[in-house]
Amino acid sequence: MNALDTLVQPDRVHRSIYTDADVFNAEMSKVFGGAWVYLAHESQLPDPNDFLTSRMGLRPLIITRDSDGGLHALFNRCAHRASIVCQAECGSARRFQCSYHGWTYSNRGDLVNMPYPEGYPADFHKADHGLAQVPRLGTYRGLIFGTLNLEAPSLAEWLGPAGPLIDGFVDRSPSGRIEVRNCQRMIYRGNWKLAWDNAGDGLHPTFAHRSFLILNERQHGGARSLSQFKASPDDTGMYGADLGNGHMFVDQRPGLHQSFWETQRPVPGREWYAEQIEQSCGDGAADVLEMAPGSMINLSIFPNLLIKGNHFETVDPVTVAETRLHTWMVAADGAPDEVNVLRMRIAEDFPSLGNPDDLELFERCQEGLAIAEVEWVDMSKGLDHEAEEVDADGVARAPVTYEGPMRGYLRAWLELMSSDVKLTTAAAGEVTCEVAA
Amino acid sequence: MDPQAASPVDDRLYQRLADLLSSERPDPGPGHAELRPAVEQALHHEARLLDDRCYRDWLERFTDDCVYWIPLDPDGDPRAQVSYLLDDHRRMEDRIGLLETGWAHAQEPPSRTCRIVSNTAAWPLDGGETLARCSTVVWEHRKDRLTPFVSRNDYVFASLGEEWSIRFKIVRLVDSRGDVRKFSFVL
Repeated sequence: MNALDTLVQPDRVHRSIYTDADVFNAEMSKVFGGAWVYLAHESQLPDPNDFLTSRMGLRPLIITRDSDGGLHALFNRCAHRASIVCQAECGSARRFQCSYHGWTYSNRGDLVNMPYPEGYPADFHKADHGLAQVPRLGTYRGLIFGTLNLEAPSLAEWLGPAGPLIDGFVDRSPSGRIEVRNCQRMIYRGNWKLAWDNAGDGLHPTFAHRSFLILNERQHGGARSLSQFKASPDDTGMYGADLGNGHMFVDQRPGLHQSFWETQRPVPGREWYAEQIEQSCGDGAADVLEMAPGSMINLSIFPNLLIKGNHFETVDPVTVAETRLHTWMVAADGAPDEVNVLRMRIAEDFPSLGNPDDLELFERCQEGLAIAEVEWVDMSKGLDHEAEEVDADGVARAPVTYEGPMRGYLRAWLELMSSDVKLTTAAAGEVTCEVAA
Repeated sequence: MDPQAASPVDDRLYQRLADLLSSERPDPGPGHAELRPAVEQALHHEARLLDDRCYRDWLERFTDDCVYWIPLDPDGDPRAQVSYLLDDHRRMEDRIGLLETGWAHAQEPPSRTCRIVSNTAAWPLDGGETLARCSTVVWEHRKDRLTPFVSRNDYVFASLGEEWSIRFKIVRLVDSRGDVRKFSFVL
């Protein structure tokens, strides 16, 4: 592995950050261990004893809510001989028993029983053999994060200006809560950072999603989903921002000249469900319908949560050249059911019509990156124009096609990768959980 | 069909789709043998149209109030859960229109496919409709890779014979809860 600071330069990055297995292995500890990593959402385990399985980088996890409502992120690994102890995606359980030799754990991670207990050494104490767990958890508006780094800043500090933007996303729901439902899993043959580059990239829609733009104009006319990227997107007021710590923001809202609902492509059931809402909500119907389409923002919480439109995408690295993307349906809590039925159809609209083209292009990039002699990936657009406009939170905004957000997250990546992070695990009872909001 | 026409999807239609999925249990029996030849003829014809990428001809075989659905959860209610896709006629037209723009990168070069349709059984429904179930493997070749898409499919045919037409097509991928490879051709 080359010296890291030669790999990330102000205007370009080296191909090896996408192709080198040593870089990938270091990322799996320093980034997907040393940073705050998004693990799950509280709405997925609403009741005591609920659980779900997730991953932190390559580490399989069981996220549990104990009988008192406390959250835990247990490594899904028997303390005895390493078998994963939980196979289910989600469910409700007080105990997890390893199928191999019967060691049994509570949903707090304590070892509560192992069969034939005679014969263990005199200094064998059950308290030392629970499921290892993530030592620091934090929640923000129901989003659960974890880190193995006791020196990491507080979650609130880590999120910084991304926090109020999460608030804006969540507060589109009448109750101020969101509900994360089922997900679609897609796998592509490319490095995980290709998805991350793309999430802060306002230059690609005009070209990568040309089929979608042409289709909408031909079939439906007028200003429809993404049409603000049709020509000269930088003249629309849309902007991108580097939020620090690797977080990125792309705001498409200034490019709209009508309501979200009017610009939304027609989805199945649009007319009937809108009519139900108009009948039941009267004068308030326009505001209620506005909850159905996407939020018109891309908010990326480094290193693995992309908030896009009205769904979450989680980035789950598999190998240096293989990545899983999970698209999670997010329902608006407290909204009429009709709104959430429309959100289901909207949440599968761009993901099924547009995402395949993105994934195809990620795979084409990975193919091109195989050429060892052509070393650099250019990210210079807008380099001489950083910080053109600074908003009230001190966040620098730049025209949407500029590549500042990418340069920003890679600076944060470099900082984490160059740091001397010490990762630790905890035993049951040693875990802290901070509530950032 | 007029792209501005209203979607026929409403609560009643969703309920019918949810009921169709649950009608598999208890076991509905072996199927009506006398329906099978006509159903197989239609399914094999559909497979040829798709493998030949005759998408417009394929679309003409669907009723105006049709639904083409690829669920993610085998027991999911489409009102409460996101699917891979749940299309009415209008969004099916969009999906095909997208390929016709010539800029759908994920289909450049286009996939070549061969689909095998098997284990067909059929039952009569009220109003002259026919329920058909089959097992399907779509083999996709693109860019040096051969990828199987394995599914159990449900169809509701509005009519059979020369003028066969489909009201509902449900593609239940066996790996819909796992890692699906991207696809933008028609399954």
